[in-house]
Parts: sequence; structure tokens; C-alpha cells
Amino acid sequence: MKVIYKWLQEFVDVTASPADVASRLALSGTNIGSVENGPHGAVIDAEVGSNRPDCLAHYGIARELGAVYKLPLKPISSRPAEGTAKAAEAIKVEIQSPELCGRFTARVIRGAKIQPSPKWLKDRLEASGVASISNAVDISNYVMLELGHPLHTYDYDKVRDHQIGVRRAKAGEKIRTLDGLERTLDSSLSVVYDGDRSRAVGIAGIMGGADTEISFSTKNILIECAWFEPIAVRKAARSLKLHTEASTRFGRGVDPETAELASRRAAELILELAGGELLEGVVDVYPGKRAPKKIQLTRAEFLRVMGADVPDREIEAILSALGFAPVRVGENRGAQGSLLAAWECTQPSWRAEVEREIDLIEEVARIYGLDKFPPRLPAARQGAERLAKFEPELRVRERLIGLGYREILTIPHVAEERDALFRPEGVTRARLANPLSEEASILRSNGLVTMAAALEWNLNHGQRNVRLFEIGRSYRLLGSTSLETPILTIGATGEAREKGIYDTARQYEFADLKGDLDAIGALAGGFQWQEGGAAWTHAARRGTVHLGRSNPAPHSAALGVAGQLARRVADKFKLRQDVFLAEMELDSLYEEIRREKEARRYEPLPRFPAVERDFSLLLADGTAFSDVVKTIRSLRIGEITSIEAADLFRGKNVPPGKYSLLVRVTFQSREATLTDRQTSDFSLKIVSALEEQLGARLRAS
Amino acid sequence: MPNIENPTATTLSALGVTTAAAIADHFAAIRSRFDAESASIHDESGWKILRDAWLGRKSGVLAQITDNWLKPAPADLKRSAGAGLNELRAHVESQIESRRQAIESGADQSALAHDHIDLSLPGVERPTGSHHLVRQVFEQIEDIFVSIGFSVVEGPEIETPYYNFEALNIPEFHPVRDDMDTFYLDLPKGASTPLLLRTHTSPMQIRTMEKRKPPVRVIVPGKVYRRDNPDATHSFIFHQVEGLAVDADITFCDFTGTIEYFVKQFFGHGVKTRFRPSYFPFTEPSVEFDVSCIFCGGSGTSAAGGTCSKCKGAGWIELFGAGMVDPAVYGFVNYDAKKVSGFAFGMGIDRLAMLKYQIDDIQVFFQNDVRFLRQFP
Ligand SMILES: [Zn+2]
Repeated sequence: MKVIYKWLQEFVDVTASPADVASRLALSGTNIGSVENGPHGAVIDAEVGSNRPDCLAHYGIARELGAVYKLPLKPISSRPAEGTAKAAEAIKVEIQSPELCGRFTARVIRGAKIQPSPKWLKDRLEASGVASISNAVDISNYVMLELGHPLHTYDYDKVRDHQIGVRRAKAGEKIRTLDGLERTLDSSLSVVYDGDRSRAVGIAGIMGGADTEISFSTKNILIECAWFEPIAVRKAARSLKLHTEASTRFGRGVDPETAELASRRAAELILELAGGELLEGVVDVYPGKRAPKKIQLTRAEFLRVMGADVPDREIEAILSALGFAPVRVGENRGAQGSLLAAWECTQPSWRAEVEREIDLIEEVARIYGLDKFPPRLPAARQGAERLAKFEPELRVRERLIGLGYREILTIPHVAEERDALFRPEGVTRARLANPLSEEASILRSNGLVTMAAALEWNLNHGQRNVRLFEIGRSYRLLGSTSLETPILTIGATGEAREKGIYDTARQYEFADLKGDLDAIGALAGGFQWQEGGAAWTHAARRGTVHLGRSNPAPHSAALGVAGQLARRVADKFKLRQDVFLAEMELDSLYEEIRREKEARRYEPLPRFPAVERDFSLLLADGTAFSDVVKTIRSLRIGEITSIEAADLFRGKNVPPGKYSLLVRVTFQSREATLTDRQTSDFSLKIVSALEEQLGARLRAS
Repeated sequence: MPNIENPTATTLSALGVTTAAAIADHFAAIRSRFDAESASIHDESGWKILRDAWLGRKSGVLAQITDNWLKPAPADLKRSAGAGLNELRAHVESQIESRRQAIESGADQSALAHDHIDLSLPGVERPTGSHHLVRQVFEQIEDIFVSIGFSVVEGPEIETPYYNFEALNIPEFHPVRDDMDTFYLDLPKGASTPLLLRTHTSPMQIRTMEKRKPPVRVIVPGKVYRRDNPDATHSFIFHQVEGLAVDADITFCDFTGTIEYFVKQFFGHGVKTRFRPSYFPFTEPSVEFDVSCIFCGGSGTSAAGGTCSKCKGAGWIELFGAGMVDPAVYGFVNYDAKKVSGFAFGMGIDRLAMLKYQIDDIQVFFQNDVRFLRQFP
């Protein structure tokens, strides 16, 4: 709402500068966009809250200023000269739908001369951003900007039978509105009709019809000033996508009591600018009239909410200036500052939203000044609790960052075909009913789809060696309920180690991913890896991750899956480099990390030295390291503390179909230093077991 | 003088030494050998080898002399052998110490250039990751509020209209709903309630109060969604931290004090604050909270002299909305509005981060370009 400074001065003798006015308005609750000095003087752009339709008018803003600056608000008294012919004989008004139309007033002016508006009126409308049309139409807009109540003017002679009324629209009923468009209506909104009720001459509270429009040949004018039910107007404006100055005001709730005054004010101005004769009286059908509400404000409640006091005089001055007519009631009536003080207030008709004591408290506080309530930090009454996942998540995150991964946050809105590439079977995706675009129409059912997109973005921007992780959620549907699952997603591509002064370059491989995941697993007592993986994985480079120290039961649910992205999928993202991805569910991981931490106990350090023995084995392809470990463990040599794969190679000096594996076994006793004989004995047993059970051959080392 | 490769490996008598003078000759020869070796070392590793070769406990030259010359020496030569050894030891020990000092201090002019590290070269660069900036800001906010007794809770991003709107005193067709363009989910026919993407973290006010009785003090970090077309300052996803405190005696003064405390912790003590009355259906009184512009220090004038573009000359920047919990909200969670009071706030994390770190495009938070990520390790 553009507020013209000089217009305000017609209602309140404010002398403060426009900048000061804007600042005081802002600090008392009227949000200010800007103050501009234009050809029509200072114009303040007020961003009026949806709860304050009364401030969509200069008079309403002036009332605020009166309260802030402690200046009296001038009353508006329009007394246009009336002729002898009676309005009630010239126009009939009826309301068929009183639930949608609480008041309808009509005045008639005969013999007016429709012409362009004078400069002062054009200037004010221009400064307000309203187009000038003709004196009669401009006046209705002017009065709306002045008093906040929309009006409509009709060519009286085009209103059939000189009869007008309000009823619900019929489903499918059509009307051509002032903007020249034909609109189709439904029965949730009401229309203004004329004559035999069959023709709609306006959409109630939104826009008038073209059939009865004022033109430069109009002689006689019918002035409508009505009150329409806000929710119905808002719904109608939304469904018709027709938002007007009138619908904004009616939609938020205008003051029904002002209707007659606004009509009178418009008549006064029309007589002044267009001449003619105003018929005597007003036709006023007012089924929605209500007695004003009484609301009580007590100092006790004020103190309970605000925590600091406001003097009686200030409370009374503020509430009076805003129109609440406070009357001190109850005990201690005369005692200034009494804690028992109470005021009975009357709700002004323009403040329908003020209904409760808390509303009055806010009124007093905002005008008194929020800065006058001294800030203090309340004492804490309880210990503060972090989220249960706080510590495990912190550890996972710090570990991944230490391993070189950068944390990302992605937008879960993705394209259906992309999500489908990664979506596990049997999962129902969550689709938006009103997406902004098809590319963002699905909430990701997994984190891989947005991780792949993040890698894609980086590769497209020249970043070739990338390691990322995201702690987020997947979104799925279970029937008609939603399921959000916390997940960790990891993505990597390019070089694990870049060439530098000290190192040679090395590509990121599946082993990097596995090792890094196992570093996370170490927090949870270790991961178990199983063959298999999802459809998006490269069939030879993938695995599923399971919690627990021993091999998972077959078909037990995996914690997650890791693998190289299958070429078929990588091509869809135009990812030319090998890409590695992993995803795991976090709830059970976090739970295991917590449990593991609680269960962990100190193991005394060994007092006797450890001995390492290396076994250089020639194994058939297909024999896994885990087979070697299992074979050695089956010997039940208690002194074995670790079995590690120290080196692996194929090719030169290794026959085809075989590979060479260097296995390092560490022996240690808790009782004594191991003798050479003991370790030789262990070694012999190990070699013969590997030879017999796995067909391994010991290579000369 | 006998020409033997390693004279200290054998006894004096095997060397044919029978006089004190001959002993002295041998010690002199060994001493000059030490001096030559000592002069040829210029770095720490060489020094260690020298030290071990001469002073090593088992096989150092001095240990060998003790074992091979002194111990088996005939009684008449023991005295001069002992004296020679002591003199040699004193010399070797003092020289080794002074060589150590010379090498360590770098004052050794003869230190070989190729052995000196080039400090301007990088060390070994191991790949290190980074925290997302939004997460860093979350953590900072969490830490501040935890320190004044606020617990942390989380909630669903997919919500029902009841929690997102109705229980927050925003009935259907409330004008405020027009400002919160909402994504709805496409549900199978017959679904009992529509589902939407929460437009704010405020639904957790309701969910928290449903579960807990006062006193309540929580913050709720999380993602929220508004159906806005993206641009430099709008994203249809962003991050919020909701706050809620309800107790028997929480007042507006406690509210402003808490917010001020937070902002001074976050932006620094120099920042000024103000509260402007505002309107939200679920708080009353409601406020918009402003801080003095951190770009122009609140002057409204940029360093270059023109109007500050960030605050448009106002000197203030709007941070977030907040207020005292509207009594109507208590009705939805069975709290007695006459006995409890409290405040709530909802701050946009992305906006705070953009202000604090002078980021001019919200989209960088979600593009995840490593050139952005590495700026905030
Ligand atoms: Zn500024």
C-alpha cells in the first residue's frame, strides 16, 4: 500500500518528517518497504500485514500515527446535500445470501457529468499506482484508498428494473467482468444481480460486470458499498485467479460499519466533481450487524506475558487512540499502577481480529515500544539434551572428513527416470502433486541419485578428483503414509592420490571405498561384506555391508551397498570416469556405534614380543583371502593374533589361473616369549593345512 | 707403527705394543682418525652414525678399546692405556656434542645444500574433507542454544496439514497460507490425510508439546520447503532452526533476552538488535527481529560512500520472525494457556550463513561444487 504523506496530514497533524514517520510505523508494527520522494511528495511503501485490513487505507495509517505520536485523529464527516426524491424509491436492494453478504448500501445520483478527473485526483491515484478512468470510477477508488472500504459504481440506467441484490452464483454461470474477460463461476461465491435475478452484474467483492459499467455517457449513478464475507471472497479470488484491490480488502475483512460512511463520502465527491443531484437517504440492508465485543485487559495478564509494566496513563492513551475505548473497572479503580487494574475495552468495528486479552496486550506493547521491555536471559531449569544420534553422527562425519570426503547437502527433488535408476525394487516413490518441473517431481527414494548428480556437476566444472558424502534422508511411501529414512551416501571418482613431489598418482578403486567404509565400520565393531549388490552396481565390483562380528545369516537385511557405478547408469549421467558409490542406513549404524562404545573394555597390553612370519602363497584364482584365513583359523593356534594380506600380484612369474598372495601371520603369547621352535612348528602346520585344503603352494621367497 | 686395518679389534700385545710411548702413538692415530671422520659429517644422520661408531655401548671404538686394550693390558701398561683412553674419550665426547650443536643450529657452513629442505615446497598433501557450511552454522547455533539449556529435537519433513498449519492456528484459507506456497504429495486415492513438505520447522512445536509437559526448551534444526521458483535469494528448499521455550513464567523479556544472547554469540558483541512488531498466526505478540547491518556497521552507507546495498541504507537487516506463543496454539496440545507462557522463533540458516560469510547466491549451498566446499573446511 502506497501511503501518501500529505494525504495522512489531512487526518492527523503530524509534523515529523516522512522518514521519521516511516521509522515509527515500522517500530509499531507496519512493515515499511521504502520511502520515496516523488512528484507527489513523499510516498511510504507500507507492507501491511494480512491481519490489518484497516491499514490498507490512509485513515487507518493515520490512526496508527495518532497513537504513536499522541496526536488526535480527525473525524470524517461528509454531509453531501440531498435532493427531495428518495433513494428508496429509486432503487430496491435485497440480499439472498446473508451468510456471504452482511451489508449492502445503495445511493443514487442523477444528472452527473462523467468526465476525466481533475489533476489533484489523478495525481493521488497515480502516486498510489491506480489508473485513472473517469471521475466517478476514480472517486470510488479514492475513497477505498482513503477509508479502506471498496465501492462500486453502476450506470443506474443499465441496472434492470432498478433492482439489485446479492445471491450465490449458479454453477457454470457466466459473467463478463470489467476487464473484458468472460468468467465462469461456481456456487461457493456470490454475485450481484439486477432485475429478475437472472443476470449477474458483478462478482461480489472482486470485480464488477461490464454490462452495467459507467461510461462517459452515463447520466445517473448507483453507488454500491457492501460488506462481503472474507473467506468466500478469498476462495473465489483464488479459484478465479482474480486478485483485485477490492478482493484483497474484502478478503482480509473490511469494516462493515464504514460502508455507509464510505458511500456518503463518495457521493460528496461525485457531487463536487461531476455535479448532479443526490437522492435523499440511503438504501441500507444490514443483516450482519453485530453488537461490538467487550474485551478485558488486566495488568496481571499483561505482566505475565510481557514481564514488565506500562503505566496506567499509557495503557489508556494507547487503547483510546486505537479506538478501544478502555474503561477502568473492578477493584482499586482509582489506584494508579495497581496490580489488580483491569480495563474493559470495546472492539472497534475495523479491528475484527482483536478478540482476546492477548490481542490487547500486543496492541499496548507495540505502540508503547518493544524496546522498553528489558531483555533478560532466563535461567535454565533442565539439562539440555543433544539428539541421541549426536555423538555417533559426529564420529562418522569427522572420520569421513579425515578420510578426505567433503560433506554435501543436496535437493531431494529429482526426475523420475533418474530416481528409478537407483530405486530398490518394491519401493514406492513419493511423487509431488504440484512439482515446479518434471525434473524435480520426485522426492529421492535414495541418496545415490543426488550424489551422482553432485559428481556430475563437479566433473562438468573441471573438478576431476572428488570425494563426497551426504548425511540425509530418503523419502518413500508406504501406502498413503510417508517414510523418511536417515542415510549416509558416499561418492568418489578420479584419483585417490594425485601425483606430487613425493607420491605417484593412483586411481580411486573399489578398495578405497571398502577401506573407508570399514573405517566407519570400526566404530561399530566392524562390517561384514557379502557378495551381491544393487542393480546400479558394476557386477564385478560391488558388495553389501552388514553389521556384526560374524557372517550375517543368508538373506539378512544389509546395512548398505557399495560398488562401482555400472557403465549403463554412468552413461545416463554422462560420467565418463569410473564412479564409486555407497549408501547405508544410519539408524542401525548409529545404534551399533553407541552399543559398541558402551561395551568396549580395556584389553591389557601383551608383555611378550610378537613374531611375524610371511607365507608367500601361490593360489588358484577364485580362492579368496577369507578361505586362507578360515583355513589358518581352523588350526586353532591360540597364539595367532592376526592374519593379514601383505601383498598380491598376478602376471610375471605367476602361472595363468593362479595368483600370488603374501600372507603375514603374527604370533604372540600372553605367557612367555615364543621360541623359534614354537613358531617354526606353527608355520609348518599352517603351510601343510593350506596345501592340503586349498591346494596352495609355497613360493620361494 | 704397525699397519693394521682395525687396531682396536685386537689386544695391545697382539699389536706388539710394549711401551707407554707406543701406546701414545696408537691413541694419537685413533684421535686423528676421529677428527677426520668428525669433520666429514654435515647432517643429523651422519652425526648419528659417527656417534654410534665411537660411543656405541657394545661395538663403539671406545668400547672396543676398553675391552681389547685396557682390560687385557699387562699391569705396567694399564696406567698409560687408561690415561690415553680417558683423554680420547673426553675429546670424542666433547667433539660429538659440539658437532651436534653445529649441525642443529645450521651454523655449520659446510652443511650440504642438497640436504637442506626447501620450506617453500608443500609437505605431503593428504586429501582432507570439509564440513558443509550450512552444517557448520547449524552446529554453532546448536552449541549456543545447548549452552543455555535448549535440547535438540528433529522431526519429519513430510508433514500433515494439521501440524504444518491447523495446529499452528493457521486454518484453511487463512491469508498466511498464500505466502507459504506448499508442495503436496501425490497420494493414492482414499488417503485419509493429505501430506505436504513442511513449509517451516514449526510443526515440531506441536509435536514436541504433544510429547512433553512444561518446562519445554527445544530447538529443531531441519530442512523446509516452499514452492518458490529458484533464484539467487530463493531456493525451494532451505534450512531452519526452530526454537520453543514454554514454562510457568516465560515472558517477553525472557524472549528478547534469549534472542539477543544468541545473536551476540553468533555475530559478535558489537551487533545491535531491535524487535519490530509483526504478525504470525501462531505467535502473539509477534516480532520481526533485526540486527544492525553487518556490512556497513549500521550506518547505511557503504565503505565506498554510496548507499549500503545490503540493507538498502536502512542500517538494519531483517533476520527472522518470532514471538510469544499464541494462546490458541496451547489449545491444540492441551496446555493451560492461563498457566504457561512461552516464545518461539524460526530462523533461516542459509540466510544467516549468507549474511555472515557474504554469500550472494543461495544456490551454491546445493550445487556442492568442491571449489565452494573447500572454502569452508
Ligand atoms: Zn548496510
